[in-house]
Amino acid sequence: MNSLILKTATPFLVGLTVLFSIYVLLRGHNVPGGGFIGGLIGASAFATYTINEGVAATRRAMVFHPVSIAGVGLFIAGLSGVASLLFGDAFMTGQWWFPSFAPDLKYLSTVVLFDIGVYLVVVGAIVAIIIGLEEST
Amino acid sequence: MLLAGVLAPFVLAVFAPTVKRVAGPATGWLLALLPAALTVYFAQFIGTVSSGGTITFSTPWVSDLSIHLSFYVDGLSLLFALLISGIGTFIVLYAATYLAKHADLGRFLMFILMFMGSMLGLVLADNVVTLFVFWELTSITSFLLIGFNHASPRSRRAALQALVVTGGGGLALLAGLLLMAQAGGSMELSTLLQSGDLLRDHPHYLAILILVLMGAFTKSAQAPFHFWLPNAMEAPTPVSAYLHSATMVKAGVYLLARVNPGLGGTEIWQTVLVAFGAVTFLIGAVLAIRNTDLKLMLAQTTVASLGLLVFLIGLGEEVALEAAMAYLFAHSLFKGALFMAAGSVDHGTGTREITRLSGLGKAMPITFAAAALAAVSMSGLPPFIGFIAKEWVYKATMGDFWPLAITGVAILGNALMFAVALLVGFKPFLGRQSETPKHPHEGGPGLWLGPVTLAALGLLAGLFNGLSGGLLVGPAVWAVAGEQVSVDLYLWGGFKTPLFLSLATIALGIVLLWRSRAISSTLAATFDRMWGPDRGYDQFLDLLIGTARTVTARLQTGTLRHYLLVTMLIVAAVLLLPVAQMGDLDITFRIPATDFYIFGIAALALAGGFSIAVFRSRLIAILSMGVLGVAVALVFLLFSAPDLAFTQLMVETLSVVILALVIARLPIYRSDWRGWPRAVRDSIIAGAVGVGFTLLLLSITSRTLDLALSEYFAARSYTEAYGRNIVNVILVDFRALDTFGEIAVVVIAGVAVLSLLAMGGRSLAGAGRAPDSAPDSAPDSAVTGKETS
Amino acid sequence: MFDGSGFEGAGWLVVWPVLIPLLGAALAAAAWGRERTQATISIVVLGAQFISAAVLFDHVWSHGVVAMSMGGWPAPFGIALAADPFGAFLTVVGSLVALAVVAHSLGATDAEHRRAGFFPLILALMAGVAGAFLTSDIFNLYVWFEVTLISSFGLIVLGGRREQIDGAVKYAFLNLIATTLLLIAIGLLYGLTGTLNMADLSGAVAALPQDSTLETVGLLFLVSLGMKAALFPLYFWLPAAYHTPLPTVSAIFAALLTKVGVYALIRVFMVVFPDSAHLAREAMIWVAVATMVLGALGALAESDIRRFVSFTVVSGVGVMVGGLAIGTEAAFLGTIFYIVHSIIVSAALFIAAGMIASAGNATRIEDLAGLYKRAPYLSVAFLIVGLSLAGVPPLAGFWPKVYLVQAGLEAGSTILVVGILLSGFLTLLAVGRAFALIFWRAAPEDAPTPPAPEFGNLVKGSLGALAALTFLIGLYSAPVVKASTRAAADLLAPDAYIEAVLGAPRAVTASDDPVLGKEVTE
Repeated sequence: MNSLILKTATPFLVGLTVLFSIYVLLRGHNVPGGGFIGGLIGASAFATYTINEGVAATRRAMVFHPVSIAGVGLFIAGLSGVASLLFGDAFMTGQWWFPSFAPDLKYLSTVVLFDIGVYLVVVGAIVAIIIGLEEST
Repeated sequence: MLLAGVLAPFVLAVFAPTVKRVAGPATGWLLALLPAALTVYFAQFIGTVSSGGTITFSTPWVSDLSIHLSFYVDGLSLLFALLISGIGTFIVLYAATYLAKHADLGRFLMFILMFMGSMLGLVLADNVVTLFVFWELTSITSFLLIGFNHASPRSRRAALQALVVTGGGGLALLAGLLLMAQAGGSMELSTLLQSGDLLRDHPHYLAILILVLMGAFTKSAQAPFHFWLPNAMEAPTPVSAYLHSATMVKAGVYLLARVNPGLGGTEIWQTVLVAFGAVTFLIGAVLAIRNTDLKLMLAQTTVASLGLLVFLIGLGEEVALEAAMAYLFAHSLFKGALFMAAGSVDHGTGTREITRLSGLGKAMPITFAAAALAAVSMSGLPPFIGFIAKEWVYKATMGDFWPLAITGVAILGNALMFAVALLVGFKPFLGRQSETPKHPHEGGPGLWLGPVTLAALGLLAGLFNGLSGGLLVGPAVWAVAGEQVSVDLYLWGGFKTPLFLSLATIALGIVLLWRSRAISSTLAATFDRMWGPDRGYDQFLDLLIGTARTVTARLQTGTLRHYLLVTMLIVAAVLLLPVAQMGDLDITFRIPATDFYIFGIAALALAGGFSIAVFRSRLIAILSMGVLGVAVALVFLLFSAPDLAFTQLMVETLSVVILALVIARLPIYRSDWRGWPRAVRDSIIAGAVGVGFTLLLLSITSRTLDLALSEYFAARSYTEAYGRNIVNVILVDFRALDTFGEIAVVVIAGVAVLSLLAMGGRSLAGAGRAPDSAPDSAPDSAVTGKETS
Repeated sequence: MFDGSGFEGAGWLVVWPVLIPLLGAALAAAAWGRERTQATISIVVLGAQFISAAVLFDHVWSHGVVAMSMGGWPAPFGIALAADPFGAFLTVVGSLVALAVVAHSLGATDAEHRRAGFFPLILALMAGVAGAFLTSDIFNLYVWFEVTLISSFGLIVLGGRREQIDGAVKYAFLNLIATTLLLIAIGLLYGLTGTLNMADLSGAVAALPQDSTLETVGLLFLVSLGMKAALFPLYFWLPAAYHTPLPTVSAIFAALLTKVGVYALIRVFMVVFPDSAHLAREAMIWVAVATMVLGALGALAESDIRRFVSFTVVSGVGVMVGGLAIGTEAAFLGTIFYIVHSIIVSAALFIAAGMIASAGNATRIEDLAGLYKRAPYLSVAFLIVGLSLAGVPPLAGFWPKVYLVQAGLEAGSTILVVGILLSGFLTLLAVGRAFALIFWRAAPEDAPTPPAPEFGNLVKGSLGALAALTFLIGLYSAPVVKASTRAAADLLAPDAYIEAVLGAPRAVTASDDPVLGKEVTE
């Protein structure tokens, strides 16, 4: 990609897209959004970054190996389901924390944690595939 | 205790190689202690059994099917058990000397002992499944023993042949035994055989009979399955002496004798057994005189003797059963002795070719003595047990029922046996000493102790006929007849028909003996060019493997297109046949006339699908798939599922990115065009599948959908799961386990792609076209061992 | 949030055999590139999976079906995992054999392969297998099928040789079609009944009219699951792919993948369609017999040792489904015993085939010779395992054949009896022939004698353990018979399973549902 505009704009664009993807992830429980879509948006951001800046730059930007990120995401999703064991509930029973200072904030829960796991899995796995393909061409 | 007696040989077998390593030359004597002890152990039952008693032992094995590890000693099993352990004692001794220098002697003795245990288990078993287990064990151990000289292709062929023939028969036997147990309502032979009429009148009687006879006839080498036994002579001589004369091949005879009270006595039983037995008797006897190899001659007489035994059991009258048991006893003694003697000759001179052997009497006096005694018994001369047995055979053939032809068969067969017996027993030892590959010498006591003892027993059993008749043969006859009958064996029956028939046999036999060279060469010239079942076996195997290869190559073509074609044909059939057959299609077709977007979206999807099928460029195909995907996303949007629509669009976008990367690695053919005939054929199949699915969907959407699930989710999404976005709540809460599985799929897909890329995967082109079955077209000579090495 | 019975502590027992390997796969993926860490994780995780499965089985044995509804949403609305004796038994045996195979791979697979995703893929595969054995939700079953499919695809291509790619393409295409058909069938069934839970479907399907639509849906299940199980005429993918991957990978595939298909066939036809899908049932016996005979013929035809083993796996599938087609208790006893036997023996045979290929430096039976002298240990193990495969007593493979033949005779199904005996005969011939050629035949004298192969303790020990297992089960089959009998009896009386999964029969309409009814009226 030789477009100067794209080259200059990419870091901003990518940063913005990643932020947007997290926003989509977090709002997902009540309005359209969630881990899957958020993850796809995030992955597309990194895809753009990879195509413009190269694999090495993406690797640096992500810090961890994308497969490790996906693995951690899957692990988080699994653990969020185990949390209910502590409360004597069935596997994957949502555990909610309604803070006393904000009783109407029906948000902080293992269910949302699960969605974060989904997000990480989708971002990690897709970026892993794209990096792998890009590297081997 | 009975169980311990059966299992002891197996236990000792495991340690046989160790014993051999530690004990060296004393191995045979040490290991022979066990069969000797077993012989004594079984001998103590003689008192009980000869006074009409039985000994039983039973322990649950696989309780659910009433399969018990149950054993049962009556006259028949006791006679066999004594022969197996008694002859086994000498075989172990003999083998340890005969193969003393062989590196794998320990392994050999292990197999022999395992075989001994299997055989004991077989004859003592009461439960039909227990019997079958040991039956198959004898086949397997026999396979290992025949193939002992495994470097020789002939050995391998013989071993596999024995396994195929007896193993195949064994499978029929399994079905037969289970069917019999079902018909008779018990798994225990002792119970089953008491209700013989139940079995004989059962509608499945014929099936049971055929299946059981298949097992017995293959095992006991009845024509046309007689060919495997002479081939099994590839095994070392101790094996031939033990398995293929005295014991294993008699398992079929044992089985027939055993089930006689249950299945015997019918017209078909008599006809089949007498016919097969007589034919086998003659074939064996003729082939025996045709051969010039000592072991082969003996092997063919064994075939003949087995035929005679089957024939006698088939006759079924009391005197015939007496003849059968007496002959069985006599045969085991003289045939075991003769085989071991023949082995000693081979061992001492380096050849078994009778034409090259003469005058060994001086160098090998003990072997000569044993061979001579055994041969006289075999030829049916007094005062040996063999004589008594033959007299009884004649008594049996003279019943009113059976035509003269049967007696004729017996005379001819016996005369041939007479000639062969004297040839084997005397020819190598008399006359001028011949040149042999090795300087003839007598082996150690391990080699001659067995033949001498067995041959002497043949004489003693004839002399003390009251004891052998009363204690061994009599009780066996009771078991076969299913009732206690008085058995009185004697040497001198007065000047009656049997004696004259014996004299006639001897006269004919002497003529045959005198002309044996000429007969042998004439027969050889005739038979060697003829088609025989042995060649038939090869043809059968070649045909079988050839068919297997053709069928497999036809099915497993290696072309993905072919596999897909078959799969889609099946799907089309499954979709269309039921409705065509039942003709109950019930569709109410509702057109949402108000909503015109839906037609636009449908048109878009159709256009996408159509261009995938029609345009020949891969790039256009990929883009068309994108169009199809967008149409699906629009459908989601229209049915108010913005999450799904959005996800679908994102997936489509990323797919294009990934495909663009993949495509750089794929050679882009200008087209994948398959040609008109294939295109038309494939379109028809695709169309059929499409029509089928459409009809099915219409039929289902014509009904009212049970919406309980979605109503449940809608009602609880916010109240109990605290989320307003139902789709998301379903994904992360209501059906979170599915999502968990699916994100695992996503991770794995990433890992899988990386694995593929990391390990190479340089080119995907041409994948799916390589042959994936590798049958050879040329016949596989290695299977049948025809190759020369 | 759920306080109903059956969801207390014991319910978690059914979760662990699925969750442990899935978390393990996640950890192994997180430890990307650290092959030693991954290996340690794998062994620990598979050991834990086996223990959890054993504990589950023990609990099921003494207390009956264990079920847990995920998220506390009662079935059929939530997804319930449920273990009856059948599912729990297979989970135990499957995880045990997987442990042996992975232990074998530590000694037999080189580090390069292991680094490239071997461990996360194996663990995910085991999670998928356990999930399929333990779910009571038919869509969830599809999810676990996908998990096994994608991870097995990754495992096949591991190594990247050309023939592997070829096998993987055929494998992936045909299996994707199968899973897609399964998904369609599930969707159609949902359209007919409005539910996805198998226990709930049991009653819902029984209430449907027995028309061509239901017959077709039943046949679609037979086709899609039969394809997964490798039934005639849709078993192409198996002989096309199983000989290509690493021997340990083939071993675990042969042990478990087709069994998952057979398991699902049994589960679906016994719980969902116990008294319907008549066309599918009629077709089943013919398909089963054709599979067992053609599979055995294929084994006889093949000259490549691993393709030979692949076809014996196909043949075994026919035997198992034959029992399902007969459908009596004795037949299921035979089928379940056969599944257990086949899990052990298939794994052992592929392991042995890999060792034979490396010891003889060839894969074609014609090119292999003289291993009797050079690898006596291997020859004993191969003989035991091969004879067990052929159903020779007193090895484990004998007993299920006795039960199935007896069941066939009792049910008057001559075709099944003939099929089983014929395929047994062909297998015996093929095994005997292979043994005679590979082991007995002397190596050609002019060929250079390679040094005697050196196998590590893990490599030998894992094969030895599997061979010993099939030998010991043969000698003392009572425990397996007992477990199989119980599993078979419960399959034929699925009420306990249905009750444990649903708690109580589901309210038929929304207005009967206490919560929903309240919502509606408010």
